[in-house]
Amino acid sequence: EYEEKTGRAHRPLSPKQNVRKNLDFEPLSTTALILEDRPANLPAKPAEEAQKHRQQYEEMVVQAKKRELKEAQKRKKQLEERCKLEDSIGNAVLTWNNEILPNWETMCCSRKVRELWWQGIPPSVRGKVWSLAIGNELNITHELYDICLARAKEKWRSLSTGGAEVECEDAGFSAADREASLELIKLDISRTFPNLCIFQQGGPYHDTLHSILGAYTCYRPDVGYVQGMSFIAAVLILNLDTADAFIAFSNLLNKPCQMAFFRVDHGLMLTYFAAFEVFFEENLPKLFAHFKKNNLTPDIYLIDWIFTLYSKSLPLDLACRVWDVFCRDGEEFLFRTALGILKLFEDILTKMDFIHIAQFLTKLPEDLPSEEFFTSIAAIQMQSRNKKWAQILAALQKDNREMEKGSPSLKR
Amino acid sequence: MAQEGAAGGSLERHCPTYIYKVVLLGSTAVGKSSLAYRYMKNDFQESLPTVGCSFFTKILRMESATVKLEIWDTAGQEKYHSVCHLYYRGAHAALLVYDITNKETLGRAKQWLKELEKEFLHDEIVIALVGNKTDLAEEREVPTEEGEEFARSRSLLFAETSAKSNHQVKDVFMAVALQLLQREAETAPAPRRGQHVDLGASRARTGCCRV
Repeated sequence: EYEEKTGRAHRPLSPKQNVRKNLDFEPLSTTALILEDRPANLPAKPAEEAQKHRQQYEEMVVQAKKRELKEAQKRKKQLEERCKLEDSIGNAVLTWNNEILPNWETMCCSRKVRELWWQGIPPSVRGKVWSLAIGNELNITHELYDICLARAKEKWRSLSTGGAEVECEDAGFSAADREASLELIKLDISRTFPNLCIFQQGGPYHDTLHSILGAYTCYRPDVGYVQGMSFIAAVLILNLDTADAFIAFSNLLNKPCQMAFFRVDHGLMLTYFAAFEVFFEENLPKLFAHFKKNNLTPDIYLIDWIFTLYSKSLPLDLACRVWDVFCRDGEEFLFRTALGILKLFEDILTKMDFIHIAQFLTKLPEDLPSEEFFTSIAAIQMQSRNKKWAQILAALQKDNREMEKGSPSLKR
Repeated sequence: MAQEGAAGGSLERHCPTYIYKVVLLGSTAVGKSSLAYRYMKNDFQESLPTVGCSFFTKILRMESATVKLEIWDTAGQEKYHSVCHLYYRGAHAALLVYDITNKETLGRAKQWLKELEKEFLHDEIVIALVGNKTDLAEEREVPTEEGEEFARSRSLLFAETSAKSNHQVKDVFMAVALQLLQREAETAPAPRRGQHVDLGASRARTGCCRV
């Protein structure tokens, strides 16, 4: 529409543009290329040469036109694909809003919904679906959020007025630690998705992110702020209102796997890694052997992936799709995703040594092909000798507990 | 990398390749990742907080040897502490980084030193104390002499750097590499130690210098 308007406005000025407007595409290079005779002050070209040049010129024009036509067709196809995608998203939004969300309890586990879920939740309903799927086991209300936030604000105030120093006298290390934690939140907020420019000082979501993280340290002082959290909170803020984001955040971190990691419970983290390795060996035996040979342990790459739920290492749109299915399938999907990544790059990884693998996996390529990526994840079987993730993990945890109970010499 | 393959054969006898693991330790936001980034890319950018560890490699062609540094850039938050010992195991060198505008971070670097001294014998690891952010001179809390004095008392290498304004970043890594090579010459007459598997290295990587 805009183009039409500007075209019309230009019409009286340039009749040529008028003609061009009728074309489907604008043959830029053909109009830029003009065959001219020699200037008058030079002797004219011989007829034969002029003929040859004309012929060459025509060939060039034909080639250029062909190329442009091809590009125009490609653009058209891309546009069509985008329209199709937008249509399918539009349809999905309707299905989610009109059919699934009103009947959540009965429908959320149906095959049809699970399949639609795998395709990715449309952004407009994503937050709602995540909230429902994560649930609110902790029964956090909006009021509780307000209380925690008020407490956090009080602390910030007392810190900035220097009241903390008095407090330090008797509270000792913990007060200093808390202060460090509040300082760190401030610091990390500016380093959270810096390229989006919305969480930084002065950005629209700066205060929201600050509030949620601050409120959480008051809600769970035993866990406090741990680096990586700012990314999780940020992704939630992008999809939910503040208080709902806080509810989802707290409940998400309360899940066993997240608790193990954010409390940096080293023993339990190792159990998760061990369970992961069971499925790694099962699914990708060759790569598994290669990693073993190079002494490449899962902590090298899994720590970052699990702590930030892939939001730091994958492009944001892909990370959100991982979150979608993580909300559907739970923690095992985080490990399935890891195996999907390893599978996708299996060929390259088997040719690398320790440091290059570590480098590659902690800084994944930015242009991950989304369809291939999800196909690769789909090909990962989360069953090992008829045992599912939860069973394997439970068995390993039991072994650990027994080992801890046993004589000290049995430890390690 | 490609150069290494090409350096094989007779050349290698004259110019051995050593692989060293260098770990960056220090409080959060003192500039560990920025130092690594400056060293690798000769550029400065706002780094994301490191979760776990990131990795870099740098190949130095020196007169007597080729040195391949494997740089492990660790997470700074204290809460990650229990995970961090995974990272410094088997290191050949450590950069203890602090922020000259924040006195507490020097204290933390000293704690790291204590920890390393528990894990390594004195001649097993080269340690450099690095005071970063000299570009913020007007906010300085730690005088140069304080860091220098401490480093001298514990025979550590010492440098003040700025990843932002590219001050002495290359130099500090180079000093570490030189000291590693020097120790190599002192401890083993035939170049063996770093070339193959270091006995102290728990992550054995056999023969990777020839890949």
